[in-house]
Parts: sequence; structure tokens; C-alpha cells
Amino acid sequence: MTTLRILGGDPPPCGTVLVSRQWPSRLDLKQEVLDEIAATLSANALVGEDDHPWLCLCLDEALVNAMLHGNEGDPDTPIDIEVAADGDRWYVTVSDRGTGFTSSQVPDSEDPESLLLEHGRGIRIMSEWLDDLTYYRSGATVRMARRRSPTGEPLPPLDALRQKDGDHAL
Amino acid sequence: MPCDFLMVQVYDKIVLAKVMKERLLDPASIASLSEGLSELVDRHPRISLVIDAADIGYLSSAMLGKLVALYKAIKVAKGRIAMGGVKPQLMPLFKVTQIDKLMPFFNDAGQAVTEFRRSPL
Repeated sequence: MTTLRILGGDPPPCGTVLVSRQWPSRLDLKQEVLDEIAATLSANALVGEDDHPWLCLCLDEALVNAMLHGNEGDPDTPIDIEVAADGDRWYVTVSDRGTGFTSSQVPDSEDPESLLLEHGRGIRIMSEWLDDLTYYRSGATVRMARRRSPTGEPLPPLDALRQKDGDHAL
Repeated sequence: MPCDFLMVQVYDKIVLAKVMKERLLDPASIASLSEGLSELVDRHPRISLVIDAADIGYLSSAMLGKLVALYKAIKVAKGRIAMGGVKPQLMPLFKVTQIDKLMPFFNDAGQAVTEFRRSPL
């Protein structure tokens, strides 16, 4: 599990850019965006079939957060998407035009009361699968990164990961 | 409007709801399924609800949130809920979010129905 980091500046350059483009903040186009990113990563052999449920979930979270929360659902306000690769590591960076957020706005998954909340699980789930999840521009840009999984790699031992110390509880 | 990808069967007082959709990512599908399941809770007092999730391959945290809302509604109605057939690759999502602590998970929906029959409300 990666640690939630929210930094102030712009994200640093990372690897070779495969896709860089803008999309309107329209949820009806979300699936199209998601499929294009997934197809780019698949075409470059950076994700395998087993990765797809997690990849789609992480991309879905990032896109919904950027479109709905960052850009407040304004279809005329675009989001910026960059897909990059460095060796066997891929990066997807999504930026909105909002003001970001603070870690205090993310429910603490260790708090028993958060168990019954109907929202706030997205970052927790993303952190579980990604190697790195870092927010820049005070939360208005998210960069997701993960190394390509070897074929047949088993899912992470979740109970062990949950007990890993030193990580911020998401 | 009824959810067009939810197939419901009632065995005695046990309601089996099979979700016949692979992707639960778009807001319309999530809202439709959530409404369909909520209607079942309203229609069947003290419901014993089994959700057959065998066809689901993709879901979002928004869908997980709806599942938690459904769990709370069922608790208020003094009913119970179980999940059956969740794909192994999706099970970590329920563990990470601790939803597996809110309701039992069975390898398939038939096992959940059998278990509910064994211990009627």
C-alpha cells in the first residue's frame, strides 16, 4: 500500500509521454477516456488482463474526482491527461482546474465510524494497488504509477499490507 | 424504472438478485442497480437478500458506497444481506474497504441461499 502524499508544486517530468490531451468534464465521455488510457497501456505491454479491474477502478476514481469535484462538473472546463512510461513503469497524470483538497477531507479507514460511510473509499482502494499515488498542485493533479505486473503474479497479501506500519491510514 | 440488468427470484422468503452486468462504473448503471435493490428492500419486509455478483468484472468505489447504503437500509428493516460469486480478483476490493466485515461472502449465490435457508430469520 502506498502512502497518500499531497504536494504543492507541479508534478515532475516522468519517462516518455505516450498520450497527452485534454477532455471535457463530461461523465458521459468517461468510459471513452478510460478505454483510451487502458488501450494505450495495454498496447505498450504495461498492463495485463488481470490488471484491468484495478486499473479501471483507479482511472475511474481519478477521472470522477477531476471532473466532478475538481471541475465541479462544468463540461466546459477540461481535464488534462498524460500517460507516460519509463521502462516497465507506467504513469497516468490527471489534472483539473480546481483548488485541490487536504488529507483531513479523506476519511480515515482505521476509524470504525468510516466503515459505514457511503463515500471516501476511492483513494484507499487506489493506494492499495498502485505503487505510487501522489497529488500535486495541492490535490488538483493526481499522478498514479505502477510497475508492470509479471504474468500470473498473485494479488498482494492484503492482511499483511494492512498491518504494514508507517503508512498514513487512508 | 426497473433495473434491466437485475434478475430477481424469490425462494420462500429469500430474495436472490442476480446482477447481469460486467461493468458497474458509469453513474447510470450504478443508480439503476441501487434503485432496483432498494425497491426489493421496500417490497420485502425483513428481507434475506442474496446478491449474485458472478457476472461483475469491474466496479467503482461509488458502487461500493451504494452497497454500504443498501446494507444500512436492510439493517434498519431488520433484514440481512449476503454476497455470492464475487470474482477472486475483485475480492480484495471488499477486503480493503472492510465491506467483508459488514456481510458474509460465499463462493456462489447458491451457497448463500442454502445458508439463509438453514437459519431463517
